[in-house]
Amino acid sequence: MAWFMGIDIGSATSKGVIAKDGDLVGHHVLPSGTNYKMAAGKLREELLSKASLSQEEIACTIATGRGANNVLFADQQVADIICCARGINNIFPSVRTVIDVQDQSSQVIRIGEEGRVVNFATSEKCAAGSGRFLQVIANVLRIDLKDIGPLSLKSENPVIFTTGCAVFGETEAVSRVAEGNSKEDILAGVHKALAEKICALAERLGLEEEYAITSGGGLDIGLIKAIEGKLGIQLLVPPYPQLVTALGAAIIAAEKCPPKEE
Amino acid sequence: MYFAGVDIGSTMTKVVIVDEDGELCSRIVGPTGAEHRRLANRVMEEALKQANLPFNQISYVVATGYGRVNVPFADRQITELSCHAKGVSSLFPNVRIAIDIGGQDAKGMKIINGTLVDFVMNDKCAAGTGRFLEVVSDALGIKVEDLGSISLRSTNKVKISSVCTIFAQQEVVSYLSEGTPLEDIVAGLHEAIAGRVVRMVKRLKIEPDVVLTGGVAKNIGVVKAVRENIGLEVLVPEDPLLSGALGAAILGKETVLKALAKGELIPKKERRLEEATFFT
Repeated sequence: MAWFMGIDIGSATSKGVIAKDGDLVGHHVLPSGTNYKMAAGKLREELLSKASLSQEEIACTIATGRGANNVLFADQQVADIICCARGINNIFPSVRTVIDVQDQSSQVIRIGEEGRVVNFATSEKCAAGSGRFLQVIANVLRIDLKDIGPLSLKSENPVIFTTGCAVFGETEAVSRVAEGNSKEDILAGVHKALAEKICALAERLGLEEEYAITSGGGLDIGLIKAIEGKLGIQLLVPPYPQLVTALGAAIIAAEKCPPKEE
Repeated sequence: MYFAGVDIGSTMTKVVIVDEDGELCSRIVGPTGAEHRRLANRVMEEALKQANLPFNQISYVVATGYGRVNVPFADRQITELSCHAKGVSSLFPNVRIAIDIGGQDAKGMKIINGTLVDFVMNDKCAAGTGRFLEVVSDALGIKVEDLGSISLRSTNKVKISSVCTIFAQQEVVSYLSEGTPLEDIVAGLHEAIAGRVVRMVKRLKIEPDVVLTGGVAKNIGVVKAVRENIGLEVLVPEDPLLSGALGAAILGKETVLKALAKGELIPKKERRLEEATFFT
């Protein structure tokens, strides 16, 4: 028996899974903080204890994400786009286009048979095109991240954000609050603005059925509906959108590293 | 005769009064609040007091800047690009490239013989504007006006890899937590903003004289970084905030003198003084 670990160190959260034969046996998510090495170590501890395994039982570990080189115990690093494509292929084999909305960037990945990456487009590191825009505005409105999706869906008259910058957008949100616009309408406006940036990326790359959304963006029903509406598509949402890339890493680990000799 | 220029920027409101020889009689700078109208009046009133003039002595008032429509007592509105070009050329007649880094935008202007011939502008992204420095200085817990002198102590400036202001703020915090000296971080920030602005202005083909204005030009660290990025001397007016208002006042003066010389009526809008209660 061999277990494999995938560690995905993102700019906001660190995600880890332990998999066996492509099935999730344990997973954990924690904030990355400012010390990625510490986050990676803590993540491993949590994963092992949740799965009641010892380090020796992990045959291979693949690290991915922005902070992959801080995972000192990993056997190898693999780009997050490759891991994300493999992960989604394991969950939804029919998906050909993945919209991956992370904290610091968004990417659209076209995938072929067996989760191969065919092409991809990544946004610049611009907060207005990534999940960070939502966090900034949620902070202005003093609402919890998990509430923004359901609140946004209640909007009847989304405000229009005229700027393409999250810093200026923050100022705009404050002005809209002062003018008496509802939280719902402001959130729906942000979702619309963000969806437009992401959809521009998708349209540049070209779309192919079926579609899925991954990473933190997949936890936000308001964003999902905004993207679906703008592109006229349906998005499949994996049960744990944040874990897809880490799962892909664990699957790649199983292929790259044959089980260690006893 | 006296002429006033009122420049309502995103962060600061500036008023300049000149006489018919173009001599400065008054200059006032105040923060732009949420209520532009009341503020324009207040700053104007202060400027009049400084010049020791009643309002009816002002022959012409030109408003400029992004809040220019909110100056109810102005005779005319003129875009800030024209006003900046005029103001900078009046101070530096040989200017070819004028760069203005304001609180919420950055502009590059190509000027030939005092006339604006081309420009580039960023008002879409906070990076490369004064807002970038405001946001990150907040994260560093220091005042914007102290950034310049702090950065001059740097011996090994850091590289800020994020373009986006929001991510730069996070990057700065992680440099702090690693124990990087403050001055090296601040110098890195100045390099980031200067690099971004100069890359934009390069589209105009940079040639001397180069003049830097706007609130950010008060930061000696940014001036130094712009100089290094361009590889040319960069001139900064004594009061870099005022060039737009000064240009507005001069354009007002030119409008009036031209009309008088031709014996024509002075082109004026109606001054809506009812908004400006303090003049009655």
